[in-house]
Amino acid sequence: MVAIIEKRNFRDFDWLVALLAVAIVCFGVWQIYNAQPETTYWSKQITGLFIALVALIVVATSDYRRIIDAAPFFYGIGLILLILVLVPGIGMRINGQQAWIKLPLVGQFQPSEFVKIPVVLMLAKYFGSRKAGTLRLKEVIVGVGILAVPLALIMFEPDAGQAMTYFPILAVVLFLSAVKIRYVALTIVAGLIFVPLAYYIGVETGKIKGYQQERIKVILDPEAADPRGYGYHTVQSMITVGKGSLTGIKGDTDNSQSVLKFLPEPHTDFIFAVTAENTGFVGCISLLLAYALLLSRLVAGAKQAGDRAGMLVIMAIVGSLTFQIFINVGMTLGFLPVIGVPLPLMSAGLSAVLSTFIAIGFVISIKMRRFVN
Amino acid sequence: MKLNDQAQNLGFRVGVIQVLAFILLAILGVRLYYLQIVKGEYYSEKAENQRIRFIPIPAPRGAIFDRNGKLLVDSRPIYNVTLSNEPIKRIDVSDRIEDYMRGLNVDRQFLIERLNFIKKQPEFETLVLKENATIQDIVWVESHNSEYPELRIELQPQRFYPHGKMMAHVLGYVGEISPKQLEKPEVKEKGFRPGDIVGKGGLEQYYDEFLRGRPGHRKVVVDSRGRVQNEIEVVPPQAGQDLISTIDLDLQIAAEEQLANSVTKRGTIISMDPNNGEILVMASAPSFDPNTFVTRSTTPEGRKEISGYYTNEQRPLLNRAIQGRYHPGSTWKIPESVAALQQGAITVARSNIVCGGGITIGNKHTRCMGNHGSPALPYAITKSCDGYYYRLALKMGIEGLIKMVEEFEYDKPTGVDLPNEKATRTPKYWKPYVEKREGKWSDIRTVFASIGQDTVEATPISMLRAVSVVGVEGKMFVPHLLKEFKPVSAIGEEAEPNFIPERASFGFSHAEPKIIEMTPQQNKLVLEGMWGVVNAGGTAARLKMANFEIAGKTGTAQVAALGKDVGKNKDHSWFVSFAPAYKPEIAIIALIENSGFGASHAVPAVKGVYDAYLLKNHPNILEGQQIAKK
Repeated sequence: MVAIIEKRNFRDFDWLVALLAVAIVCFGVWQIYNAQPETTYWSKQITGLFIALVALIVVATSDYRRIIDAAPFFYGIGLILLILVLVPGIGMRINGQQAWIKLPLVGQFQPSEFVKIPVVLMLAKYFGSRKAGTLRLKEVIVGVGILAVPLALIMFEPDAGQAMTYFPILAVVLFLSAVKIRYVALTIVAGLIFVPLAYYIGVETGKIKGYQQERIKVILDPEAADPRGYGYHTVQSMITVGKGSLTGIKGDTDNSQSVLKFLPEPHTDFIFAVTAENTGFVGCISLLLAYALLLSRLVAGAKQAGDRAGMLVIMAIVGSLTFQIFINVGMTLGFLPVIGVPLPLMSAGLSAVLSTFIAIGFVISIKMRRFVN
Repeated sequence: MKLNDQAQNLGFRVGVIQVLAFILLAILGVRLYYLQIVKGEYYSEKAENQRIRFIPIPAPRGAIFDRNGKLLVDSRPIYNVTLSNEPIKRIDVSDRIEDYMRGLNVDRQFLIERLNFIKKQPEFETLVLKENATIQDIVWVESHNSEYPELRIELQPQRFYPHGKMMAHVLGYVGEISPKQLEKPEVKEKGFRPGDIVGKGGLEQYYDEFLRGRPGHRKVVVDSRGRVQNEIEVVPPQAGQDLISTIDLDLQIAAEEQLANSVTKRGTIISMDPNNGEILVMASAPSFDPNTFVTRSTTPEGRKEISGYYTNEQRPLLNRAIQGRYHPGSTWKIPESVAALQQGAITVARSNIVCGGGITIGNKHTRCMGNHGSPALPYAITKSCDGYYYRLALKMGIEGLIKMVEEFEYDKPTGVDLPNEKATRTPKYWKPYVEKREGKWSDIRTVFASIGQDTVEATPISMLRAVSVVGVEGKMFVPHLLKEFKPVSAIGEEAEPNFIPERASFGFSHAEPKIIEMTPQQNKLVLEGMWGVVNAGGTAARLKMANFEIAGKTGTAQVAALGKDVGKNKDHSWFVSFAPAYKPEIAIIALIENSGFGASHAVPAVKGVYDAYLLKNHPNILEGQQIAKK
């Protein structure tokens, strides 16, 4: 496959983006080890990194335009996977969510992580081929439709956290497809009104469950949290982060918050708290800067993209990654409620790393072919 | 693609997304700064607090032995169900009361008190919920581990009183320090914590500070479920000091038997070495079982039993030896005789006073039990002639009696090393009240006081102490129960922060005995009378033994009307004595409540103890008795 890459293209391969992604995953492996030194999560993550790296190279070296052309095909496969996962016997139930499919060799894999990519491609294909000019209502409806079908299936699992990460994809695509600024403003205002209203109605009608309410209440008053209740995850996460101070705990890993099991899900959802405890403010800021650098490289790639569809793919990925980072770290830092969203490239889990690397593969492919036109 | 060319200003929109992404990341950075740099120390401390636990290691309490090293009180390890505060601090536990009650058979009221109390304590406190956990209790707690993480099973020492009700008043018992006590600043200062075991009553209370050890602790790391992960530090406890008491268990057993076999089974027997004040026997009946307080105070049955002790009309918790106040009756005549000689109301050469069969004050005649002519002092003592003392007291005057009270320190407690000793009450105490109520102190009260009635209410211990003086040339000792505290070695090295210094051995700090001034002739005169009580056809003639001369004095405390049998209000019977009369080794006093005339009940009780003493110390004399009788 490498043979078909022209020399010039190979020179344009964005080494920095790839290296940054690999570096963050390696840093993550260290933190996963810190979180659960007696388990094999960290070694599995290394295996995952190699698989993901292969996928990245394959995607980066293929022509993204042909893949975008085939978007409906991938989209269809994605929907089939999302249906399969709901079939008892095929889908696995973990923590009350039927979100995983067990595969031989690879272990379990999470379709909702991967389907993001066909959704991005599908939206890029649709909105990338449209002519210039103001967005029409019909186009918006089609865009919403593309998103709504997989979302509905994910809500059957149910996995509200994953579902949420789909919204920024559509938001970015619509924003970049010339939706009028006043509609953007209107949406923001409406959101500010309807989200609290919906929460209030949800509480009143009992649609929002007790544990969900508790997760929100604890944000407002962490000291009043019941130590045995759901809100306590947030409190423990804040303690863990705060304990890290400037440079983190040194050596005393036997007594870390995750080893003593005060911190729940330390290797996945709360990996950032583990990072904070072990590497302190210095380590956390370095990680955030690495993310910032990665995102800027992606945005720079988008600006240089050879066509509109390519640009939309990259920016949708940027939007999705940013949103996930913000939601996950915000939850860890105790100002957003606990939602099961993994931290991109850091949280243990093959599916998440693989899908993120595939997305980055696209970005590299798009950058490499920017002059082809 | 040149974004700038786009009519819709695409470059700007991409820029907006990029800026937005940076703003979001910056928000995270600011929040990180707040949590880690501004509040870093606060959260470090919180993390520390939630994983470090101090588990106290209880210190074994010193044991108590009798003077010959026989065990009186010990501790043994038992399993307790404990309740820790940390898991339940912030939650409502009222629904657990029913569960605990059913699961552990614990009293409901006790549970409510316990839960309310512990919730007011700091998070790390632990209290005992049930002592002596049974196998069923342990299984119940372990199987409800996840439901009630606040309950634990702990191995702790428990006080054990092998002799049960015997000398319970002397030993006392132990229990948790009361919330009321904890509030006192001097108690707080000593570092007491809720749930600490302290002595209550008796030697356990009086010498608590020395019997109690210094608890050690384990500093451990726990996980989120409170399970111990590893140990950081262990400070071993320092055991309390063993107490060797002056009690002679064999004599005590004999005395307890005498009380148990007495008519009313109520009364007290005390025995003391008159040469130094060491108490050999202190028995008070009815008694209580200290084990009830220690082992069953949490169960409904045990609590009922304990409240029964408090409401029982016979007052089993009262130590009659030091807390009971009784008219001493004729036993009062002994210190009175000494005082009369001291004050010159009578002299060795001329101690005769008319008996007259009684005395008439105003229009009221107070009679004597007989008509003794005009006896000298020894005969008046031997026959317990009331008429003699009526006139003697009038001669001394109430001032003379008050002087006697002061001389024999009847106006204060004897200073025995037991808590809550009551002081004897005498005319000195009552005179101001009487004068206030009746306008004056009339002679009839002096007459009554002369024979230990009316305004004289003495504790048995004060009577024994005062009367013993006659046998030991006027030396009046402080009666006491402590012979020696054994030393305990230090814990750790001197420079270490957890160093606990050794505790030295020590005995009862004897003050010099108070000397009751008497000439040898005066002393002999009184002693002669007391000797006669037993050995010359006196009121306790039935106690006479060959080769073992007992000196004593009987007494009958008027409860209703003197000498009248009025059912349960019969007179109290007294006998106070020492032996051998001219070189005493042992002094014994007995009081049998509501049994009647002194000679008939208290005297045999005292005899029982003398027999035990002889059996142990002079078996040949006791054998001689049996031969003599045959």
